[in-house]
Amino acid sequence: MTTTDARTSGRKPAQLVDMNWDPITRIIGNLGIYTKIDFANREVVECHSTSSLFRGYSVFMKGKDPRDAGFITSRICGICGDNHTTCSNYAQQMAYGVKPPKLAEHITNLGEAAEYIFDHTIFQDNLVFVDFCEAMVKATNPGVLARAERTDAPRGDVHGYRTIAEIMKAFNPFEGEVYKEALKVSRITREMFCLMEGRHVHPSTLYPGGVGTMPQPSVFTDYLSRLMRVIDFVKKAVAMNDDVFDFFYEALPGYEEVGKRRILLGCWGAFQNPDVVDYRYATMNEWGKAMYVTPGIVVDGKLVTNNLIDINLGLRIMLGSSFYEDWVNEDPFVTHDPLGNPIDMRHPWNQTTVPVPQKRDFEGNYSWVMSPRWYHPDTGEHLALDTGGGPLARLWSTALSGLVDTPYVKATGGGIRITLPKGEKLPETTLEWRIPKWSNTLERDRARPYFIAYAAAMALQFLEEAMGMLQSGDTKVFENFEVPDESIGCGFHEAVRGVLSHHLVIRDKKIANYHPYPPTPWNASPRDIYGTPGPYEDAVMGQPIFEENGPDDFKGVDIMRTVRSFDPCLPCGVHMYMGKGKTLSTVHSPTYGANHG
Amino acid sequence: MGTIRVGRPEAKPDTPSHVPGLHQGNKGPYQEQTGHHRDGSSDARRSTGIHWKRHDALGESMPNISPG
Repeated sequence: MTTTDARTSGRKPAQLVDMNWDPITRIIGNLGIYTKIDFANREVVECHSTSSLFRGYSVFMKGKDPRDAGFITSRICGICGDNHTTCSNYAQQMAYGVKPPKLAEHITNLGEAAEYIFDHTIFQDNLVFVDFCEAMVKATNPGVLARAERTDAPRGDVHGYRTIAEIMKAFNPFEGEVYKEALKVSRITREMFCLMEGRHVHPSTLYPGGVGTMPQPSVFTDYLSRLMRVIDFVKKAVAMNDDVFDFFYEALPGYEEVGKRRILLGCWGAFQNPDVVDYRYATMNEWGKAMYVTPGIVVDGKLVTNNLIDINLGLRIMLGSSFYEDWVNEDPFVTHDPLGNPIDMRHPWNQTTVPVPQKRDFEGNYSWVMSPRWYHPDTGEHLALDTGGGPLARLWSTALSGLVDTPYVKATGGGIRITLPKGEKLPETTLEWRIPKWSNTLERDRARPYFIAYAAAMALQFLEEAMGMLQSGDTKVFENFEVPDESIGCGFHEAVRGVLSHHLVIRDKKIANYHPYPPTPWNASPRDIYGTPGPYEDAVMGQPIFEENGPDDFKGVDIMRTVRSFDPCLPCGVHMYMGKGKTLSTVHSPTYGANHG
Repeated sequence: MGTIRVGRPEAKPDTPSHVPGLHQGNKGPYQEQTGHHRDGSSDARRSTGIHWKRHDALGESMPNISPG
């Protein structure tokens, strides 16, 4: 699976050293990366990614009122909870057969756009750039820093920094200008989010069937004024990122091999088009393609499909190295989709989570993450798709489909053109993201600020349309619905760091099965039953090491840059299994009428 | 739940489901709530109970936008 060619010429005898990072810092502490590094040839020989957190949201969703699903699944994560609420509402709307009013769709889209701007900014500038800042580069590649001091920043007229080293200095944590500015921006963007969805990060105003946000002019003008305050920051961020990443390619020839893997990207689409979406499964292909971030699966640089029905049918949850029992002998919940297509037993609709806790063994089972794969109907492969940290897959899939053509954003086939209006200091700017040659660490990181610009540009369009509706007196934001006795639904959305799907089965007006699949289970998945490594493992395995330190003071910055380029995030597990049938405490706060029936 | 051994449940996970006789939010506000019109539009009564008629649009042809 790894595309990095083995370098045969001039190889020295291997000097293998085990190097482990567990937990990986800057995400909650349950992702571990275990590697074998050949210091003689300066490359990673083997890599295992493991998670120590049981993933069982599906277990306690059973038997609950399906209308609660959005509120419960939001609590899966303290970072992207609103993405889960939104996705859960999409799945519920399909199950209930309800289409929210257009203004409600705009409000949801605006909230999600603010979330993308907020989360990508705080992750890129406050967490990713620690690996690229002056202090880190000085400790790992002093030669590169010396060169950065002599290198002029080509886009200095936009961001105001004269040399690359000055930008790196601004990235220094707690002291650097960019670091501090990003924290301020994340506050403003969170305020934008709260205007639309009530509260960050667990929205209080998103429901299936619509929103509870009061559509009044000040909601939209408050959002707009905040957006215009950060729009110059976005333009500068794109220019700074391009300068730094271009410099890395130049200063460290061969850096494109770091974190490179076969181009296997998945995007489930974001920003529903209110004019087209009706949440019916039968028309999912049409409204999926109308989304303002086009869903798609990109293999070796080519678009395999952008049909959400095909994407849904190809989902497979594989075991192989995970601490779970197989469920193939259980009764299936869904044998056919509403169009009559057969549903595989390994599809999330049919999954049952049966944990089997055990000791970690890298020859056998070693992770609580399962191995989601996408079954390619033409080749029969089970593809270990990654999300490229979110933005890379979103931009790539949208660009290749070429369906998005809006006043501010246009997919051109070879890239995406984003126009941002005049801000406080900088003039109107058109940014162009072009499809890169590789799916590697630097391109994943580079795509992130471009997607911030994308989300900001889409937010401007949603604002204009929403204010137009409001001014014509169309203020309806909620639609009635009945919960059916039996139904199924699926929601496809983009969490900030990539694909997000929720699969729901309702029986007897209660949840019979519910499986959220966030992006990191795709990215952090272990080897599946066929031995295919997950994306982290694949990207790290075989990557060259550019760090100048030896085994004694090795920081592993190249490996960390690769893992962090995927925007790793694993709190969507459940911290609940005590072992030996022991329950630490049970807290139940019943709502009114708890003793009924 | 397979072979995993778990403690005796003390919580009834489906208790928050609907209680008969209680208003259901998804049944819609139009019969119950003032200020919402059937055509999707609304008037100032939706936002406030204080002098709400004075906050409505001045003319018939003007859109009624919630104050705020």
